[in-house]
Amino acid sequence: MAYLEVRGVAKSFGKRKLLDGLSLEVEQGECVVVFGPSGCGKTVLLRIIAGVLEPDQGEVWIGGKSVADVGPEARGVAMAFQNFALYPHMDAFENIASPLRARNRPEEEVKQRVHEIASLLRIDHVLDHLPKQLSNGQKQRTSLARSLVHGPSVLMLDDPLRNVDAKIRYEMRLELPRVFRKFHSTVLYVTQDYKEALALGDRIGVLMDGHFEQVDTPVAIYGNPNNRRVASLFGDPPINLFPIRPERGSDGAVHAQIGGQRVALGPRAAELAGRDCVLGVRPEDVAFGFEPGEGGIPVELAAVTPFNVRTVTLLKASDATEILASRPEDNSLAAARGHRKGWARIDLDRALFFDAASGARL
Amino acid sequence: MASLTLDHVTKIFDQKGLPPTLAVKDFSMRVEDGEIIGLVGSSGCGKTSTLRMIAGLESISEGTVRIGERAINELKASERNVAMAFEGYALYPPLRVSDNIAFSLLRSKVPKARAAEKVKMVAELLEITDLLDLYPPTLSGGQQQRVSLARALVRSADVFLLDEPMSQLEPHLRAKLRARIKDYLIQNKMTSVFVTHDQTEAMALADRIAVMDEGVLQQFGSPVDLKERPSNLFVAGFIGEPPMNLLEARVAVEGGAIRVVVQNEGGGQAFSLGVPSQPAAAPLQNGRRVQVGVRPHKIVVAPTGNGVVQRLTGTVVSSQWLGDQSYLGVEVGNAFLIAVADRSVRAPHDSQVVLGLPYDSLHFFDSDSGEAVLHGADLLPA
Repeated sequence: MAYLEVRGVAKSFGKRKLLDGLSLEVEQGECVVVFGPSGCGKTVLLRIIAGVLEPDQGEVWIGGKSVADVGPEARGVAMAFQNFALYPHMDAFENIASPLRARNRPEEEVKQRVHEIASLLRIDHVLDHLPKQLSNGQKQRTSLARSLVHGPSVLMLDDPLRNVDAKIRYEMRLELPRVFRKFHSTVLYVTQDYKEALALGDRIGVLMDGHFEQVDTPVAIYGNPNNRRVASLFGDPPINLFPIRPERGSDGAVHAQIGGQRVALGPRAAELAGRDCVLGVRPEDVAFGFEPGEGGIPVELAAVTPFNVRTVTLLKASDATEILASRPEDNSLAAARGHRKGWARIDLDRALFFDAASGARL
Repeated sequence: MASLTLDHVTKIFDQKGLPPTLAVKDFSMRVEDGEIIGLVGSSGCGKTSTLRMIAGLESISEGTVRIGERAINELKASERNVAMAFEGYALYPPLRVSDNIAFSLLRSKVPKARAAEKVKMVAELLEITDLLDLYPPTLSGGQQQRVSLARALVRSADVFLLDEPMSQLEPHLRAKLRARIKDYLIQNKMTSVFVTHDQTEAMALADRIAVMDEGVLQQFGSPVDLKERPSNLFVAGFIGEPPMNLLEARVAVEGGAIRVVVQNEGGGQAFSLGVPSQPAAAPLQNGRRVQVGVRPHKIVVAPTGNGVVQRLTGTVVSSQWLGDQSYLGVEVGNAFLIAVADRSVRAPHDSQVVLGLPYDSLHFFDSDSGEAVLHGADLLPA
């Protein structure tokens, strides 16, 4: 049995069904990210687990017991929100120590625990500083230390990095997993940022319209999504989606028109002949070049848009199909202006096929 | 279309009962005909005031703004022949989307058929064809923003001014619309200046970017310039995602050999970098306090070849795969470094990893003034 179990939880507000009988299991020491667009019910789910909202149906189990009759304070669940607040009159040490003080822990233990977590979060040199003397990053770390210091059995974080500046966000994203490991925390982490979900989740639950579309590892969610909706939520630029109707040629091979060019689809599409499909191709699986090659689709390079550590290109095929391609940062293209002819090659081994009507993976 | 020149432009807000505030200080910039310019900085840096002075929505306290060779300081907004899209959209609620877009065309006597054609074309570009018969109040924020952009882009004007033009765009449309708009601006040779707080957007769209801080232009250059030759700490920290690693350090020169000793957050020594003793490295004087900047994606994880200034061995804090790139958090002597690789990297946490720092990954800034004193790209590989 998993450490935290959500069993068939449903919740409506008035006529609006926010959670539609969803279930989730989180193992002890595991970090599951709940990811979905705003308004998908993420925060409601956290509040039900914390015990501050009651579900209409279903139950929450923690450590092998139903917590239906256990109040929020006795569930051993800690929750941290987007805006961490520190007590302004207490130094960082006392801020971190406050949950231990509230539980009357002995002084020796308080000292040891605060120093342990402060050193892990690299704030041990500022423990005697008041919040106003701390940098934003140090404040963020201090509040995180406070929510972890008493070793909650379940830690729930509601979009904690949303309002922090970029430098801190990236550092914390990389450091949080170490903190979770150290405390063997069972974590439920809510975010609207797909990169954060991929970065932090041992598994990701994609929450849409009140239910999980898929609960899986980051590698599976990105490379092996259940359906077109999940595929479109992960990746920036997003996955290219081309409507196709594969046909079997006289040679027996299956091919389709993509961007006005006949492209052999390979053995994976053998069963798809005659069926309306959508072909999903991630931008990093489209190679653009100025030399023709086998299977290349003739395109015009319409625009080059550098995108962080990558270079994104918009390609236009002869039938006006637009293809986004992405490659590692390429300064040779960066200053390109005006259209140039070239060829796009799709890595069909990595392409995804969806049913045109239902969006399900084929 | 025309060029645009800002010549020593200053904006002072002088409100009754309040001390005067300097919003823009001595800003000079020349935008070539057909060039796309991004004005970036944090909120309150003066970028929007600058745009509004060009548009004629704010008076110019000092200096001259010229479109082509014509000074426009004294011209009313309506006489400047500029088109503008506002962040607040400013659509006419009682007019349908199509009429909102066509409004200024018809007012400037563009024939009806030609106006309709232009509306259709720009609607397709911005994916609002299905919205043309609706009224603005029924649209989402992202849709209204696209309509507002469409209304500016159909016009013919000497200069196009766009205030946070894509801040509300729906994430699934953003990459494609950015590229289409860039293509459109270039094809139509539209001289454009857009304001954004999002450096990613500026890097994607602009030919050149003006980075502002506290009313002062920090650097005006191409996206590649800003990444590879940031002129100071502000630009270095503002441009790039993830941002540049910045580490406090002190220079130690012994017997002609230059070492840059990097400190960790607690003030102890984290590691040191050997810099080849060359004329270009002269600014690294013994005892000088500097900040060392290292671009995350220029770091080579587990380097095999030559061409790196320094190899550092560190402990992997975490390694995160993001689909098309991997982030690595590494502790080197209790200092924290972020590295980005364009492939999946196998680096289990708590394992040791070697990071190679190539010449062009490194930047050195004076700790006191924040000015760049040396870019690693200017050193000759040993």
